[in-house]
Amino acid sequence: MAIENRKVTVTVNGQERSAEVEPRKLLVHYLRDDLGLTGTHIGCDTSQCGACTITVNGDAVKSCTMLAVQADGAEIMTVEGLGTRNELHPMQQSFWEEHGLQCGYCTPGVMMAMIGLLKENPNPSEEEIREGMEGVICRCTGYQFIVSAVQKAAKIMAEANEKNDQKVAASQLVGEGNL
Amino acid sequence: MANAVGAPLKRKEDPRLLTGNGCFADDIQLPGMLHAVILRSPHAHAKIKKINVEEALKSPHVIAVYTGKDLEGKIGPVPSSWLVPDCNLKEAPQYPLAIDRVRYVGDGVALIIADDRYAARDALDLIDVEYEVLPAAVRQKEAMQKGAPLVHDDIENNIALHWKAGEVAEEIMENAEVVVQESFYVQRVFPSPIETRAAIGQYNPGSEELTLWCTSQNPHIHRMVLAGVLGISEAKLRVIAPDMGGGFGGKIGVYPDEALIGYAARDLGRPVKWIEQRSEHFTSSNAGRDEVIDVELAGNRDGTLTAIRVKNTANLGAYLSTMGPGVSTIDFGLMITGAYDIPHASCETFGVYTNTTPTDAYRGAGKPEATYQIERIIDLYAREIGMDPLELRKKNLVRKEAFPYTNAQGLVYDSGDYEKPLQKALEIVNYEQLRQEQEKLRKQGKLIGIGLSTYVELCGFGPSKVAGAIGFQGGVWENSTVRVHPSGKVTVYSGTSPHGQGHATTFGQIVADKLGVPMEDIELVFSDTKAISMSWGTYGSRSTAVGGAAVAIAADRVVEKAKKIAAHELEAAVEDITFENGVFQVKGVPGQQRTFQEIAKSANMAWNLPEGMEPSLEAQSFFDPENFVYPFGTHIAIVEVDKETGEIEWKRYVCVDDVGRVINPLTAEGQVHGGVAQGVGQALWEGAIYSKEGQLLSGTLMDYALPKARFFPHIESSFTETLSPVNPLGAKGVGETGTTASIPAVMNAVMDALKPYGVKDIEMPLTPEKVWRAIQNGEGN
Amino acid sequence: MNIESSHTFKGVSRELLWKTLQNKEALRRSLPGCQSFEEVEDNVFNAELGINIGPVKGAFTGVVRQVDINEPESYRLLLEGKGKPGEIDADAQMSLEETDEGTILTCRADVKVTGVLAAVGQRVMGGVAKVILGQFFKDIQKETKEMAKL
Repeated sequence: MAIENRKVTVTVNGQERSAEVEPRKLLVHYLRDDLGLTGTHIGCDTSQCGACTITVNGDAVKSCTMLAVQADGAEIMTVEGLGTRNELHPMQQSFWEEHGLQCGYCTPGVMMAMIGLLKENPNPSEEEIREGMEGVICRCTGYQFIVSAVQKAAKIMAEANEKNDQKVAASQLVGEGNL
Repeated sequence: MANAVGAPLKRKEDPRLLTGNGCFADDIQLPGMLHAVILRSPHAHAKIKKINVEEALKSPHVIAVYTGKDLEGKIGPVPSSWLVPDCNLKEAPQYPLAIDRVRYVGDGVALIIADDRYAARDALDLIDVEYEVLPAAVRQKEAMQKGAPLVHDDIENNIALHWKAGEVAEEIMENAEVVVQESFYVQRVFPSPIETRAAIGQYNPGSEELTLWCTSQNPHIHRMVLAGVLGISEAKLRVIAPDMGGGFGGKIGVYPDEALIGYAARDLGRPVKWIEQRSEHFTSSNAGRDEVIDVELAGNRDGTLTAIRVKNTANLGAYLSTMGPGVSTIDFGLMITGAYDIPHASCETFGVYTNTTPTDAYRGAGKPEATYQIERIIDLYAREIGMDPLELRKKNLVRKEAFPYTNAQGLVYDSGDYEKPLQKALEIVNYEQLRQEQEKLRKQGKLIGIGLSTYVELCGFGPSKVAGAIGFQGGVWENSTVRVHPSGKVTVYSGTSPHGQGHATTFGQIVADKLGVPMEDIELVFSDTKAISMSWGTYGSRSTAVGGAAVAIAADRVVEKAKKIAAHELEAAVEDITFENGVFQVKGVPGQQRTFQEIAKSANMAWNLPEGMEPSLEAQSFFDPENFVYPFGTHIAIVEVDKETGEIEWKRYVCVDDVGRVINPLTAEGQVHGGVAQGVGQALWEGAIYSKEGQLLSGTLMDYALPKARFFPHIESSFTETLSPVNPLGAKGVGETGTTASIPAVMNAVMDALKPYGVKDIEMPLTPEKVWRAIQNGEGN
Repeated sequence: MNIESSHTFKGVSRELLWKTLQNKEALRRSLPGCQSFEEVEDNVFNAELGINIGPVKGAFTGVVRQVDINEPESYRLLLEGKGKPGEIDADAQMSLEETDEGTILTCRADVKVTGVLAAVGQRVMGGVAKVILGQFFKDIQKETKEMAKL
């Protein structure tokens, strides 16, 4: 009863990648085993822990709740696409500075989930961050320093956006002057 | 770099982990790698009548299937590593796969090896096992009764051990003005690291070396034990613990599964990977606690405590785990007096076999249980004599002048000033005012509770001769090598095996201060038995106090040698050389100096060394501490209980911990937060539930409440520093304090809130339903 | 775990209900998810049932025994089933009580399960069992009409 493999193509972290997979293969296994993106981790088998959270077309998704074939054609971001060691994403930088991780196993999923949260709510309160973490479990930190990290990241990202807006406004002014 | 110790430095290990560049077990891919799954017993107790593996073997993906019978005589049983003496310990052999009888849900029955992860799991359904179900012994007190089903036929009444320490003369109890008695159940919980267990075996037929990557907190213990189980030389077995997603005690144990994977990799000549599923983890990884504790505290009406008598009935599960026998005996029984000067104490422990998953050390291992019973009974005693629980504590805490203090069970507490963190915590919460407010709110019908926990715990086991005397099948010393390269860059090897604690940073800080080199110049190596000399790993909050001390001593030795070389080059006497901030200087002669890096080069080139000196700049130390270390502190929980729903609302959680020298306040606070979260989890939400047939009903993350972010209050954490005299760092240990202290703090707070209803105890976890029922059944209702 | 459920078969006499419950064909049609139901000896049946309890789905094969038959008042059903999600062992006391309205059928069962069924299923099993029994009672009600025609 051989079921034919299917070719699944995704754009992951800005790069087009594809692999032939069994139709039943979970997206998380496709990312880890077929594409070699092992930064996304697996912590449970009932979709509770959220260690495997990534973004699919911009939304935070637990990659154990999707089949690889369902992601065909999607735009995916994993922790590997966030920032590099020399140029960390504000979320990574803040987790580092605020000691938001200990073993680091849940961390990629938590960061991706929190990026999803900040997209919806760029300036969350402590309570909103704690509630926003409903889908993830960290066993090491007691969450407090994760909350501080997310608060810091939100601030940095908001400032960067502001600067960006100013830049855009400035370039628009320059543009107008050229007319 | 000077003054790295004590600075809240960012962790060295983080950039790797934050960018997805960690290397956890499941990230390891080897050419030709096979995947293993283990078929496990669905019954708590049954005879295996027949195993039919034919269908599984027909699958084109299945490479091999092994059953317990196939492995008979080929792999030995996995022994316990804590053979507690003088307690009539009866160890039943645990074979890596059950041979003719399964003894708990999750007991391994068959090992399947396939060439694909999914196909391996498919094959689980193709094995047909015929069982004859037997009655099961599940709870310890029932399992001890005559006529209970026997887990092991030759072990009478299922009693694995009967241990006693200390004696309280009957007349002391009889003559006491007050005796308060209570029975507490410290329920079974799961350590639950977010990464489950894993093992990968690779055999090299040329060198005949077997490499085993496994989730181990103590790779050298794994190597020592597994070499015996597999019947191979330790010199041919290399155990590596890769990056690990937490442990909390659950990865101390040497498990049958690791032996199986090592065996299969060698037998098949191909790499084999096994990754535990989460639901499998619940039944097949060692659990924690599960102790019924009966306690009697005796004393006078004025609050003078005279004696404590404790009986612990511990559920050890179906087999003795690696540390299992020591938890409810040594770890628990010698600490029953807690931080109080109680002159007489006795503890009697029964360790009982049951048809459940074995229990082992879980964060604190015996100390949370010991702290729980003393901190809870102190509160009940205070209630009995109408005294504020704070006053009763103050009256009985071991005095600062008494250190080193010998407790009634013979342990010598290294150093302490118990009033210091207590006072600080009281100031933070403004205790007196708080009590007044509580009284006012009580009159308005609001149930506010204040819970204190003035704890002490023992960690950093040592010396090894004591470990031997208490039956621990290993040493408790630690080793470190500090190797200085020609450039002056440094590699530090440590026998501890971190998995989230951040040793690369804290040990780096120790070395940076000692050698005067920047943190970036220091690399740490852990967790590989081929790279690191014999050592004992990470558990029991021993890493800094013992492992960090070894690092400090090795670094001192490097400096000592470097100083001699500098003196030689500068043509001065060694006594005249000072070393500060990485520079060797002739006292009072400016300009006459050498940098650490220059000496590193000289030492390694060896062109001009002092007469008779060996080349290179490297030192090793083996540090065996003279005593345990005893961190202490005060935790205060403030809660409000909703009368109508039984729900518990957080007001504040304040902790002041004294863990000796704090190497890195940021990571130390992180340890406290995490520890508190696990303790609070035990008090309020977590609990293993077995049916009377021995089925685990809380066997997935849907059913077992691992705490989420919104469950917690803001934890207000701070430290006092009372140095330990037993190691050169003055460090005590911080990994387990939060868990040890917080369970009774929370419980005392809730019981204090329910005091108007006369409620003295509710079995943990305090679900709203249980709290509501206690209120309904309470006085005045 | 204990499961108890009862149903009033309005306007159905105890004798008719008994007859229906003893009819192999009627049972085969009424047992939820029943794929096969064969009498192998007197009052012993081999059955194959599809069960779907929340996250746990699977086919169960087993043996159903009817004992302690006390026509038309009561009987006991002993069920031993085995499937991928685990094993089921049930002991159900079925009693029929005639009233003015009709006949009340009560099922009191002690059910033991193992494996995933226990770990995952137990939490929802009580509710699911009631739904399954409810379906069974409804179908039996229909069968009594057919049976009355005979």
